[in-house]
Amino acid sequence: MSGQRVDVKVVMLGKEFVGKTSLVERYVHHRFLLGPYQNTIGAAFVAKAINVEGRVVTLGIWDTAGSERYEAMSRIYYRGAKAAIVCYDITDSSSFQRVKFWVKELQSCEQHCRIYLCGTKLDLLENDRSKRQLDFHDVRDYAEEIKGRHYETSSKTGQNVDELFQKVAEDYVHFTPFQVMTEENGVDLSQKKETYFSCCHH
Amino acid sequence: MAADVQKKKGWEVQNGSLAPLDSLQLERSESPTPSMMQGSEPGAGQEGTMFVHTRSYEDLTTDEGPVSMGLKKGDGDQIESDMEQISKDFSELSTKLTGIPMDMEEELRENDSDQQEKPRRDSVLSSGKNDEDVTTDSWRRHKKQVFVLSEAGKPVYSRYGSEEALSSTMGVMMALVSFLEAEKNAIKSIHADGYKVVFMRRSPLVLVAVARTRQSEQEIAQELLYIYYQILSLLTWTQLNHIFQQKQNYDLRRLLAGSERITDNLLDLMAQDPSFLMGAVRCLPLAASVRDAVNASLQQAKAKNLVFSILISKNQLVALLRKKDQFLHPVDLHLLFNLISSSTSFREGEAWTPICLPKFNASGFFHAHISYLAQETDLCLLLVSTNREDFFTVSECKQKFLDRMRRRGSYQTLQEALRTPFYSVSQVGIPELRHFIYKSKSSRLFTRLCLPSPKIEAPYVTKEEKERLLGLYQYLHSRTHNSSRSLKTIYYTGTNENLLAWVTGAFELYMCYSPLGTKASAVSSISKLMKWIRREEDRLFILTSLTY
Repeated sequence: MSGQRVDVKVVMLGKEFVGKTSLVERYVHHRFLLGPYQNTIGAAFVAKAINVEGRVVTLGIWDTAGSERYEAMSRIYYRGAKAAIVCYDITDSSSFQRVKFWVKELQSCEQHCRIYLCGTKLDLLENDRSKRQLDFHDVRDYAEEIKGRHYETSSKTGQNVDELFQKVAEDYVHFTPFQVMTEENGVDLSQKKETYFSCCHH
Repeated sequence: MAADVQKKKGWEVQNGSLAPLDSLQLERSESPTPSMMQGSEPGAGQEGTMFVHTRSYEDLTTDEGPVSMGLKKGDGDQIESDMEQISKDFSELSTKLTGIPMDMEEELRENDSDQQEKPRRDSVLSSGKNDEDVTTDSWRRHKKQVFVLSEAGKPVYSRYGSEEALSSTMGVMMALVSFLEAEKNAIKSIHADGYKVVFMRRSPLVLVAVARTRQSEQEIAQELLYIYYQILSLLTWTQLNHIFQQKQNYDLRRLLAGSERITDNLLDLMAQDPSFLMGAVRCLPLAASVRDAVNASLQQAKAKNLVFSILISKNQLVALLRKKDQFLHPVDLHLLFNLISSSTSFREGEAWTPICLPKFNASGFFHAHISYLAQETDLCLLLVSTNREDFFTVSECKQKFLDRMRRRGSYQTLQEALRTPFYSVSQVGIPELRHFIYKSKSSRLFTRLCLPSPKIEAPYVTKEEKERLLGLYQYLHSRTHNSSRSLKTIYYTGTNENLLAWVTGAFELYMCYSPLGTKASAVSSISKLMKWIRREEDRLFILTSLTY
């Protein structure tokens, strides 16, 4: 991977338009893009190195598309992930349905993947508290129940964004035993020859 | 000798009027002749072609398989009462094109209030124009409406206005289609009051266009096919059929959510970019040495499962490498162009997305690695792999390509070549010529030059001007490709420009002159232009088709 080694595979999951791409944009490029909504097509990959207690950890972030269309093949994006940032929009209660879906999916397929629940668009509450549709404590309780972590962020202001990713990296450093990462760096990607979705018969 | 290769390969000669095989004409002649063999015209590939060989409207002339409508025979009474209903619906539909009768208007308003109660599932996602009120005059004034519906009559896509508000209109459309099918007929189009209503049936979908453009019915139908292929490229034909077999009244918008922008962009692009009309791919003009360097670097960066490596810049092809014996269809490449131009999301990181190339194989997904070569460039690299687990391998290929380009200074040279267009009016040497399109039929490539004239600064650059010019070309194209009476040459005198079209078995040429020029001078300039194209062909076209 172009000389970079990815230590932690991080996957962004959640309903469309909750702001997964904006969160990654804010974290990686320190910016918030205004303008019309652009849905992610397939998934986008971006690597970012981060310093944790004097040690450099490279996050390989998979920003997946929220559209149901890609659900059938979402496994290729979250397989082997060490962390999943499952996003919901705190002003849209329906977006939490998808959170539950993803948590269930991860719990059954990726037991070693740590789950970070992330409520986005915190800045929308600044002027109007009544916009909140998902209670902070309810989600926090749910996060504890699933042994996950919980953050509320704003990609517009940058609030809590760095903290979230920093935590992801720290957890990796603290909780991963000193063993060889067998699933890292695309090794698992090249070992299996799945022909299910390929279409070239030659 | 190139000609020998072509003869052996049995190049398809489409036109019976072509002169018999003659060694003299097979050579790459300097100036054009109507009897020029396909494969010897300027821009023809020297060692075979990189695209699948196609004909204009090929899909429109081959019939789809038998359609089953689930309408049982012997339901005589049923059909009769249906007929009453449908003829009523029909009259409503035709009135709707010019003005909405009262009851219909009410119905639409009702739908509107429904919509307010239950906001559109993805109303936050819609681009704004989907909120357009379908009862207003401005909605009806759109030049081309496009609707996609399922066989159950459920809305799938509408270019303007929300699908919900149009559900009754779409129901009428489906009724029309199924009524005629019950009698083993197929509705193709309705022509009324300056409008053309064109129907395209591709089970399990029905596509309808309502247009008041100068396009022929065939041209509109071709555009509908592109929309159909666009949907296939997201879902595959297999998945699409599977879904509707499971559940006839499935709401396909669930799966297509977020793709409206791609379809909208395709429709906008088709109104401006002649690629779709020509059924050919536009090459980015580039010095042969620069292109060779790009090709060599691409060839280095190969992987086992790669099928196509495609470098593009603003809907133009810079380089294309393919796996041996695998050919890309121009339609598939157009869909890729559209996908990339419709979204800025590819600028962030590396994208890895499933994509179906419907003309290559409509039943499965490829996986495409899509990335811009740098932040501030239009150069975008697509690496198409058969293996969905291949991301890191393919990502490495991209890096290898870029590293090699940089090491050899080719990247810099390419960037500079993009900034400085190599042609000028004086080079072509025809002062009245403003714009032309030249298409080589055998290579499926075309070139289009807009020549800035000293009198009119940069003509045909605004959206309106582009669409107007394309409208004129569409008219010439429809007259030269009319299935019953096709013309070989046309000279058209307009108020703002004069146009000339010349279509032979080997090439198509469309020229646009200043309105002050004469017919004689226009005709005499053809051979000058053709000689220039021949001289510049290795810049204007990709003459050799490379494999890994």
